[in-house]
Amino acid sequence: MISTSDFIFLLRGVPATLSISFIAFIIGFAIGIPLTMVRLYTPRIYASMANAYVKVFLGVPVLVIMLFFYFGLGKYLPPFRSPYMSAIAALGFRSGAYQSQIFKSAMNSVPRDQILAARSLGLTKTQIIRYIILPQAFIVALPGLGSEIALLIKDSAYSFILGVLDITMHADILRRAHKLFLAPYLAGALLYIMMTFPIANYLDRLGSRLKDRYGLR
Amino acid sequence: MLGFGYLSYWTRFIVEGFIVTLEMTALGLSGGFIIGSLLALGDVYGGKLTRILINTYVEFFRGSPLIIQLLLFYYGIPALTNYRWSAFTAGALALMLNSGAYQKGYLKGAIEAVPKDQLLAAKSLGLSFRQTLAYIVLPQAYRIVIPAWTNEFVSLGKSTAALLIIGVRELTSVGQTISSLTFRPFDTYLAIAVIYFVWIYLSLKLTEYVYDRLKIPGLGESI
Amino acid sequence: MSGEIILEGKGLWKRYGSLDVLKGVDISVRKGETKVIIGPSGSGKSTLLRILGLLEPPTKGEIYFRGENVYAGNLNLNRIRAKIGFVFQEPSLFRHLTALGNVKLGLKHVLKMKDEEAEKKAMEMLRLVHLEEWADHYPAQLSGGQQQRVGIARALAMDPDIILFDEPTASLDIELTWEVIEVMEELARKGITMLVVTHEIPFAKEVADEICFMEEGLIKECAPPEIMLRNPKTPRARSFLKRLLGAYGGI
Repeated sequence: MISTSDFIFLLRGVPATLSISFIAFIIGFAIGIPLTMVRLYTPRIYASMANAYVKVFLGVPVLVIMLFFYFGLGKYLPPFRSPYMSAIAALGFRSGAYQSQIFKSAMNSVPRDQILAARSLGLTKTQIIRYIILPQAFIVALPGLGSEIALLIKDSAYSFILGVLDITMHADILRRAHKLFLAPYLAGALLYIMMTFPIANYLDRLGSRLKDRYGLR
Repeated sequence: MLGFGYLSYWTRFIVEGFIVTLEMTALGLSGGFIIGSLLALGDVYGGKLTRILINTYVEFFRGSPLIIQLLLFYYGIPALTNYRWSAFTAGALALMLNSGAYQKGYLKGAIEAVPKDQLLAAKSLGLSFRQTLAYIVLPQAYRIVIPAWTNEFVSLGKSTAALLIIGVRELTSVGQTISSLTFRPFDTYLAIAVIYFVWIYLSLKLTEYVYDRLKIPGLGESI
Repeated sequence: MSGEIILEGKGLWKRYGSLDVLKGVDISVRKGETKVIIGPSGSGKSTLLRILGLLEPPTKGEIYFRGENVYAGNLNLNRIRAKIGFVFQEPSLFRHLTALGNVKLGLKHVLKMKDEEAEKKAMEMLRLVHLEEWADHYPAQLSGGQQQRVGIARALAMDPDIILFDEPTASLDIELTWEVIEVMEELARKGITMLVVTHEIPFAKEVADEICFMEEGLIKECAPPEIMLRNPKTPRARSFLKRLLGAYGGI
């Protein structure tokens, strides 16, 4: 279907694809956790500002955000002159909004009796969040985080439109250079599946195993 | 300087692009709905081989980027079949198949959420399997699925931006053209983002309203 | 009973929306006392206990802990909560922690004990409820009765001045009920101050100093068990007890 050398050529895109998705996930995590705290536990003005952030990134295509960062902000802010950085920023900021949605519903899923029991021991609100709610919410959030990583790996393909040398770009180069119209894309798609499937599947299973172990619903 | 006055010159262009975005979303959602329904029924009631085939299909479309699927349909399929089609057709088809894979998951959950005793009750009335599906299972499943389906609308509606890669003149690609002709990428992409945002949230309000009217008291609302 | 009053509620009123669940309850528990509250469901027993445990504030009325009005001024509620143990109706162990972890949590983070010290104390408490061998098990791996006993150990570990029990056996099978009741009887005999909502009449008969009958948001009558169980004053208490005692084949 595709020659070995062409396949190896495709593999050259893997580092860009994986590093973009991985760094974006870390940024998303670093934004998502504090954002969720602000949404759940701070006065209304701050909470609604955090909610607005989430709403914006939920309502606009990540490709448009990427184009805006690279072509729009790139004119004024040097870091955005790099397609790689723009792609990471767009995916990372959006992931912050998505991960906040995941954490918020996971934290809300912790039953009230757990919180009352902690309060009866005299734990402060901060201690209850840190020692009771967050540890349980992380377990509940695992499957959602798995899908989010998979989504980032897939959506990192948009970075090719900015010129990043990821898997999709390498597949496209093969079409243009070798007049191969089917095989590179098919092989590229399979390469993505080989990355998304195990990660999403693993976190999904880990999540259900831990949920069973701890009796979380 | 930020300003949107220059965009009035491009209004028609933008409106046309937005209409293509709407068309593509509608085609992808409705085509995906039919495909997803068939796949879901096959996965719930079909034999082992059917289920394996369906899940391979679903894993392919859910596990790989839409943008690669678009390129595959636009360049790959015509090369294979020697049948050339327009970017619009290739794009619409890829969107339907892609959305079908996602909608299958939601619909399967909804079908399984219809309580088993409903099937027994239908059997006891003497309804055939087909009648049971048509009159008992699907009407309930379609109402249960609406919240998940709303998410699919939001996600697919935004995904249509990917169509610019094969040259479909939808909203984002119109933005790209305006931005490069006017040398005003900042304002242009901001305006495009606002249009998507307003569109998505107005539609969400609308589906919320529709859902409230279609809701059946006591029928599970979440899957 | 003549000891110091540990916990006292005066004119406690609780309103949820337009529903008055408590309508001016007066109650006090003295040091070393075991007081039992009985009454039909919906009479406000659980609400009263949660309010006395400072888990939610009353709409009206005052709560005194060792003579101090807890909602007046700027008292640190968490410090007082730590001194009022609470055992819930549904086993509400922290699901992500082992039995030992559950007992240790308050010791470490509220009482600021060092890890070894907290561990030693927690094991001691688990021994008291006969569960030291189960220390490393998660709540999902324990029976309902074992979970409730860990819950008691968790409350006891804080060296509380009083423990409130909110129908601790209501969600348990009969066999499991006994292991929990036995532990509670041991505590009562040790002189631990307890306020218990329960319908386990044998327990009340055995260890209660006083039984209170509650109905429609008010405490209607309090009396020592030998009087309350044989000859309650109010007709409603009489008919309620008749039904309840019928279930035990008379006492």
